[in-house]
Amino acid sequence: MQTEGAPAPSSLPGGPKPSHPFFSLKPVRLLIRFGMLAILDAFSLLFIWTLIANGRYPLAAFVFVITVGVNIAFLVEKAYPFRWFAPGLALMILMLVYPTAYTLYVAFTNYGDGNLLTRVQVIDQIESRTFAPEGATEYSWTAFRSNSDPDEYVLWIQTEGESFLAEVGEELTTLDNASSAIRGSLDASGIPTDVPGFTRLAPNQIFAILDALTEITFGEEPNTVTVDSVRVARRLEQRYLFDSVADTFTDQRTGVVYTPVQGTFTADDGSTLSPGYWVPVGGENFRRLFRSPSLRGPFIRVLIWTFAFAVFSVLLTFSVGLFFAMVFDHPNMPAKNVLRSLVLIPYALPAFITANIWRGMFLPQFGVISTTLENLFGSSPLWLADPTWAKVGILIIQTWLGFPYMMIICTGALQSLPSDIFEAATIDGAGPLRKFWNLTLPLLLVSVGPLLIASFAFNFNNFTLIDIYAEGGPPIVGTLTPAGHTDILITYVFRLAFSGGRGADFGYASAITMVIFLILATITALQFRFTRIWEEISENV
Amino acid sequence: MKRFVLVLLILAAILVPAFAAAEAEAPVEEPIVVDPDTTLVIWADDTRAPILEAIGADFTAQYGVPVTIQELGFGDIRDNIKVAGPAGEGADIIIGAHDWLGELVGSGIVAPIDLGSRVNDFTSSSIAGFTYDGELYGMPYAVENLAFFYNPDFVSQAPETWEEVRRVAESLQNAGTVEYGFVRQEGDPYHFFPIQTAYGGYVFGVNSDGTYDADDVGIDNAGSIEAATWLEGMVTSGNIPAGVDWDTYHSLFESGQAAMIVTGPWALDRLDASGVNYEIANLPGGGKPFLGVQGFMISSFSENQALAEAFLTEFVATTDVMLDLFDRGGRPPALIDALNAIDDPRMAAFGEAGREGLPMPAIPEMSAVWSAWGDAVTLIMQEQVTGAEAFATAAEQVRATIAGN
Repeated sequence: MQTEGAPAPSSLPGGPKPSHPFFSLKPVRLLIRFGMLAILDAFSLLFIWTLIANGRYPLAAFVFVITVGVNIAFLVEKAYPFRWFAPGLALMILMLVYPTAYTLYVAFTNYGDGNLLTRVQVIDQIESRTFAPEGATEYSWTAFRSNSDPDEYVLWIQTEGESFLAEVGEELTTLDNASSAIRGSLDASGIPTDVPGFTRLAPNQIFAILDALTEITFGEEPNTVTVDSVRVARRLEQRYLFDSVADTFTDQRTGVVYTPVQGTFTADDGSTLSPGYWVPVGGENFRRLFRSPSLRGPFIRVLIWTFAFAVFSVLLTFSVGLFFAMVFDHPNMPAKNVLRSLVLIPYALPAFITANIWRGMFLPQFGVISTTLENLFGSSPLWLADPTWAKVGILIIQTWLGFPYMMIICTGALQSLPSDIFEAATIDGAGPLRKFWNLTLPLLLVSVGPLLIASFAFNFNNFTLIDIYAEGGPPIVGTLTPAGHTDILITYVFRLAFSGGRGADFGYASAITMVIFLILATITALQFRFTRIWEEISENV
Repeated sequence: MKRFVLVLLILAAILVPAFAAAEAEAPVEEPIVVDPDTTLVIWADDTRAPILEAIGADFTAQYGVPVTIQELGFGDIRDNIKVAGPAGEGADIIIGAHDWLGELVGSGIVAPIDLGSRVNDFTSSSIAGFTYDGELYGMPYAVENLAFFYNPDFVSQAPETWEEVRRVAESLQNAGTVEYGFVRQEGDPYHFFPIQTAYGGYVFGVNSDGTYDADDVGIDNAGSIEAATWLEGMVTSGNIPAGVDWDTYHSLFESGQAAMIVTGPWALDRLDASGVNYEIANLPGGGKPFLGVQGFMISSFSENQALAEAFLTEFVATTDVMLDLFDRGGRPPALIDALNAIDDPRMAAFGEAGREGLPMPAIPEMSAVWSAWGDAVTLIMQEQVTGAEAFATAAEQVRATIAGN
């Protein structure tokens, strides 16, 4: 807590400095602070206004909360400490809390293909559908624009031998009833060149106004005519009438009434009006997930391999990384820096590319690994087709991709280990292995442990590698839903959510994400428990 | 003096284009004023964009409506229009494939299109492809399908049945003429479909009105099982190698190591480049390939739907434009006049092979089929299960996925 004018504690870096000897900086600083805040608020308001205009209310609410929070932090003196982490908090809310909350919200909706639009958009779209009543005459048409009002038009419509002048809100005028000016000015195709007060539009002029013309109903009920396309005008009636009180659509042609059921207008016989709109559906997605054949199917197998893959990935990358770190840490190692940089290459290249290259090397016909093994031993394992070898192949790639990262963090951690206890151990007669197992490893795990957990969580959801390697294949024989031997949870459910017969189903996918998130959160919480054991070890060393 | 020259130059700069414009406008039609408020935005892939760019400029000159072409990856068009369309930022016209319709129509992204009497100017299969739930949703420009390719150096005439393919492959391999008689991609069901249909198999049954019936899954009917058993036999006798991907099987054919393949017009460039001797024939046994139709669709969020429709029917659906699209894309045109104007025996052969073809199902349930069906083909080729078992399982998986969702 800091009150203006009180001496600034030196422990707060950047806090109010002692006044300048010649003039006070305070007003200047206040001015800068308010100025910056005003600019920020202006931008926030603009952003919120745009979001509301686009109907993105949840995001608008979040931005509003963040803006209010930032203002409090910078205006209320009591909230002074919050100024230091306001930017961090704001970004965390925007980048972490909001997406998580939003995913949770989507998990309880039917958002996805077939229900992508908002209710307003869907009602608009269905209301705009028209139909030509049976026996409606098709006319060719010519447009005339009013000389006084550029938005006013009349049509000259023609069909086999008959011609009419169609004006808005007036009965169609036959050629016989038309004014003499019109009758006297017919051209070779029977179209008047002169309609008093109006100018005839040439065929090349109507394109730009075509959509404006389709909005206009010419003539008088029930003999109305609307421009349907560049060549045809005819009577068009609205197909579905919306009753906003009863919240139903009625088909004008058949009389069938459609009432909304979970975001889709549905008739009694089960027929629906497409598209549907986006609407909360309660726990429907979760019910569907727990009832779906995927859970009765190969789910357990997939789950076991997911854990195995994540655990082995961490173990292998860590062991190899630690090995290299210790080798390069050795004082007698020559050309350390050059070698260390070379070994970092797998980390520097995008995994997306290297995983594809590895896959190519494992291919049976032309892959360099397969052909080399074949030349040396006469046969090569089927890296992509054999269930066990496919798993081995994936672990080899993941180890190669992941060990440089482990090497970096182990190098740092190794250099920070106290040397005195190692000297003491040497004096006590401990050999290098003993020192590694009893001192290096436990001490290392204290600092590296959380990173191993992060690595575990990453590999638990390592979609890219699994999908690039064999798209989860080779397929498991005789399962209830399609699944592969190398499928992990995320690739397995991804395919279920996005190939489940309805295209992309974001609501269902979000529900699955939430469940995976819960599984992962539980595991991580348990693992953090275990890391405390290492901390206790380090305290006892 | 300098100033005088400058003034003259400026005058010239203003007057010359004005005179040029006046001259261009002279014939019958009224002078056109470009109205910047009404524009057409078209999303096209890099193959089609340059052609549309040119006809867009013509359209602007004649009708005063600016046309903007935005270039996107072919597959990205579908994903982007689903987001940008509802937000009011999408294109008026998009290029796309007919099998997107289930997704785009179901979500209300594209609007029906009325080609009027011009409907009859297009091949009936291409119109059938773009018809969804009884309404037309696109103007087709190209149709593509698979055909049977053989190397006349090894095979004297195209086999009539898949049994004959087996016999030819066996004798060629026994004689040591080629390494493999017939090669195909390991897990790919799309190229397997013509074999399946040759034996009377199908994926989805067809309703009386020609639409697909998702409740009638035919992956385990007698014909499909027979086709699967044929594949199993070819693999166990060593006449089809396992573990071959798309690129590899083309390379095997191009290098003369394989005598017969099934592929589509997209492979013609690389086959020609390799210099391999090839003939295109109908698929053996009367096998029906899937037809893929490409065309133009109109966004239902466009403010200019009538204009977009007019642009397509009056301006794009001409023989010249369709032939331009053919020259760049190399797919047989959907416009009958353009198709007849092409003097390319290879295109004729593809047309012949696809005469009985079936539009690839656009219904959303199709997405439940690909992975189960592909897994079944993979398992047969890896000799994990018999053909009958693999396809029975696949059919069960498809039914469970459709029912479970």
